[in-house]
Amino acid sequence: MLIITRRPGEKVMFGDDVVIEVIEVSGSSVRIGIDAPKSIPVYREELWRAVKAENEAAAKSDAKLPKNLPLKT
Amino acid sequence: MTTQTITLESTRFGTLEIPHEAVVEFPNGLIGLGGHRYALLAREEEATFIWLHSLDDPDLALPLTNPWRFFTSFEVELADEEAERMGIEDSAEPTVYVTVRAAESLEDFSANLRAPILISHGQGYQVINQAPDAPVRAPLFAGSAEVAA
Repeated sequence: MLIITRRPGEKVMFGDDVVIEVIEVSGSSVRIGIDAPKSIPVYREELWRAVKAENEAAAKSDAKLPKNLPLKT
Repeated sequence: MTTQTITLESTRFGTLEIPHEAVVEFPNGLIGLGGHRYALLAREEEATFIWLHSLDDPDLALPLTNPWRFFTSFEVELADEEAERMGIEDSAEPTVYVTVRAAESLEDFSANLRAPILISHGQGYQVINQAPDAPVRAPLFAGSAEVAA
């Protein structure tokens, strides 16, 4: 992994289009600003990971799904 | 009227000829899974579960359902950037599905309310739902233990 030190107000470029700026450092949290083309989705990693896991689990579903289903009450 | 079809190879369902209208392009793929070309397969009209099947990977298919069928108060709230990315206009309501995690027993079936799939004009996006009560794993049949499959 590439590791670089940045101060608040300093930025990192991903190619020509994606800019990450360190906005504020406060205790153990860092506020970052992300400027990316709108075609690129931006996710918090833990949410991305959870959705990826659900998608993978859904993709393991058997071809035979139940037909006569109860209505949720 | 043209009757062009596309051949879909499926490890689950065999070789299927599907109409062009069933094809959905996902510019950003599915989250964590990728894939840009899928088809919507329904085995019958009004089926509870339909399949979002990859056109490029015969093994990749996810069951979907209409969230309001199970969660009547379900809501989708999109961040502005996401709505902009999809190019949603107020006049064109997208069709909304949620992915389903199937299991041995119905009690373990769940749907992902946090990352619904929105389809409009043949384009699909899996989005992050900003609504407060939108778990990643919402039980579909909670409390209904005995069911004839």
